[in-house]
Amino acid sequence: MEETTKGLNVEAEPTPQPVNPTADQIGSADLVVGVLTELDSNAMAKMCEALRTLPGPLRIAVLRDDPQKAPAPVNSETTQERALVFHVPSLFAKPSAAATGVLGMSETYQSVFAAAEKLLARGCCILASKLEAATPLWAWRIAQPLFEGQADLVLPHYTPHKFEGLLNASIIAPMLRALYGKRVNNPMGPDFGVSRRLFQRMLATGAGGNHLHPLASLTPMALCQNLQIVEVHFGTRIYPAADWTNMSSVLANVLAPVFVDMERNAAFWQRARVSVPVPVIGEPFPLSPDSSVVDERALVESFQLANRELQEIWGLVLPPSSLFELRKLARLPMEQFRMPDELWVRIVYDFALAHRLRTISRDHLLRSMTPLYLGWVASYAHDLTLAGATSPERRLERLSLAFEAGKSYLVSRWRWPDRFNP
Amino acid sequence: MWDHVKQALAESMTRFLTRLANFLPGLAALIVALLLSAILAWILAAIVRRVLAGLHFDERLGGWGFSSLAEWSPMNSPTRLVSRSIGVLVIISGFLIGIAAFDFDWTYLFVQKVFAYIPDVLAALLVLLVGNVAARFLARSVLIGAVNLNLQYARFLSIGVKWIVIVLTVAMALEHLRIAPSIVELAFGILFGGIVLTLALAVGLSSKDLISKSLERDAKKASTEPVEDPLRHL
Repeated sequence: MEETTKGLNVEAEPTPQPVNPTADQIGSADLVVGVLTELDSNAMAKMCEALRTLPGPLRIAVLRDDPQKAPAPVNSETTQERALVFHVPSLFAKPSAAATGVLGMSETYQSVFAAAEKLLARGCCILASKLEAATPLWAWRIAQPLFEGQADLVLPHYTPHKFEGLLNASIIAPMLRALYGKRVNNPMGPDFGVSRRLFQRMLATGAGGNHLHPLASLTPMALCQNLQIVEVHFGTRIYPAADWTNMSSVLANVLAPVFVDMERNAAFWQRARVSVPVPVIGEPFPLSPDSSVVDERALVESFQLANRELQEIWGLVLPPSSLFELRKLARLPMEQFRMPDELWVRIVYDFALAHRLRTISRDHLLRSMTPLYLGWVASYAHDLTLAGATSPERRLERLSLAFEAGKSYLVSRWRWPDRFNP
Repeated sequence: MWDHVKQALAESMTRFLTRLANFLPGLAALIVALLLSAILAWILAAIVRRVLAGLHFDERLGGWGFSSLAEWSPMNSPTRLVSRSIGVLVIISGFLIGIAAFDFDWTYLFVQKVFAYIPDVLAALLVLLVGNVAARFLARSVLIGAVNLNLQYARFLSIGVKWIVIVLTVAMALEHLRIAPSIVELAFGILFGGIVLTLALAVGLSSKDLISKSLERDAKKASTEPVEDPLRHL
C-alpha cells in the first residue's frame, strides 16, 4: 500500500497535510477527480459536498495542485448514501517548457490517468474549464454516468455561444463526426469523465511508444474501441480570450494531435459511413441573448493578404480547383465575401492529407492554414449577422453535413493522393 | 662531318621515338580510361535516373521547397540534372585516372592537387546545400509568420532573410574553396551590410505610415470605450 502511494508523487514529495487523510492512508479510491481549474476553497468544498451525494459506498480522491486550499474533510467514512471524499496533494505533472498549449495540458491529463491507475480507481474526472454558472455540480454531473450509466467517456455539452469555441465548431467537432460517425459536440473536452477501461487503454497505448495527446485522442480512442460515450449538459463555458498575435501557434498546437490521430485511426474511419447522435444527459441550459458583433474586415483582410503571399505554399497542399476558388473569393468585395462550406471542408481535408504526407514542414503547414480559418470565421460571422440569419446551431449543423458529404473526397484523396487531384 | 650529322639525326630520332613510345601507352590508357568511364557514367546515370523517377524525385523536390531547381535543370527535370552530374563526375574521375597514367612529374602533381582539393569542394557543396535548405526554411517561416501578423511587407521580409542566408552561405563556400579569400571577405561585408541596411531602410520607411496610423488608432481607442473582441477560438 505504501508502495502505491509513494509512486503517486509524480512531481514532488507531498507536503504533510494535517487536515486531510494523507497519501499514506489512501490506498485506493473508486473515483479520482483532477481539478485543473482555479477553484477557491469555498467552491471546492461545495464540489466535494456534491460529490459525496454520489451513490455509495464510494471513496473519492480529489487531486489538487494547491493542497493548501483544500478544505478539511467533512466525513471520515463511506456509507451507502455518502461517499468519502479526500484530497491528494500535488500529483500533476508540470508541463515541460517545450510543451505548451494542448501538448502541455496533455502531460497533466496523462498524470491524472496515472494517478487513477495507481489508486485502482474505477473512473476519473477531469475539470479544466471555468464555467459561467459556477455550480458545484460539475464534477457530480461528469462522475454520475460513470457509475450509474456504465459510460466509458463522459463529454461536456456546453451551452453554445455563437462566436465561442470556433476552432472546435469549425474543424474538430464536425470533422470527427464525419470521420467516426458519432455526433459529439466537444470531443476535446477539456472536461472529461473517463472509465477505468478507457484510461487504462490510454496509458497502455502511451506506454507502447505512441505519442498520445489525451485531449485529442480520448474521444477517437473511445470511438474506435466502440466504448460507450455520453454527453452531459454542462452550462456555459468561459473561453479564454483570443490571442491574435499567437493565433497560428494555437491552431498548430490544437490541430497537430488531431491530424496525427486521424492518421493513426485511418483504417477505422474509412469504414464508418453515416453519423448517429450520442446519448445526452440532462436538460439544456437556457441560452443568454448574444448581440456581439465581429469585425469581419480584419479577418477578410488577413485572408486576402495570405491569398496574395501564400499561394506558393497553398499550391503544394491544395488542388488547383480549390486554389482557383480561393483566388476568386479574395477578389470579392467585403459585403459579398463568403467561403462556401464545401470549399472549407475540402481545405481542411487537404491539409489533413498534407500533414500525413509531410508535403511541407508540419509546423509551416498548420500555420499557413490560419488565414484560411480566419476567412471561414469571417464568412460564418457574416452569415450570423445577416438580417433573418439562421441560428448558430443550424449554421453549424449545415457545416457538419458538408463535412459528412465531403468524406468521400477525403477517402479518395487519402487512398490515392497522386491519382485523385481534382 | 656527314657522319656526325647522321649520328645526331639518329640520336634525335631515337630520343623522339623513345619519348613517343613512352607517351603512346599513356595516351592509350587515357583513351581507354575515358571510354570506360563514359560507359560507366552512362550506365550509372541511367540507373540513377530510373531510381529517382521511381521515387518521384522531381515532384518531391517541389514539396521540399526546391521548385526553382527545375529552372536550372536540363529539360526542367532535376532528375536529369542529378543523373548527368553523376555521369560528369564519373567521366572526370576517368580522365584523372587516365592523366595519372602518363608517367610525368607534372601530371602526377596535377592529379595530386586535384585530389587534395576534392574535400574542399565537397565541404563547399555541403555548405551550399545546407545553406540553401536553411534559407528556404527560414524564408518560409518568416513569410508565414509575417502574413499571420498581417504585415503587408511579408514577402519583402521573407526575400530579405533568404538572401542574407544565401549570401552568407556563398561566402562560406568560397572561403572553403580558397578562391580570392580577401576579395570574398570584403565583398561579403559590403553585400551583407548593404542588404541589412536596405532592409532596415525599406521596413522603416514603409512602416512610417503604419506606425503613425497605429499610434492614432491607439490614441482613439484610449479616448473611447474599449470594445471587447467576441471571438473565442479555443
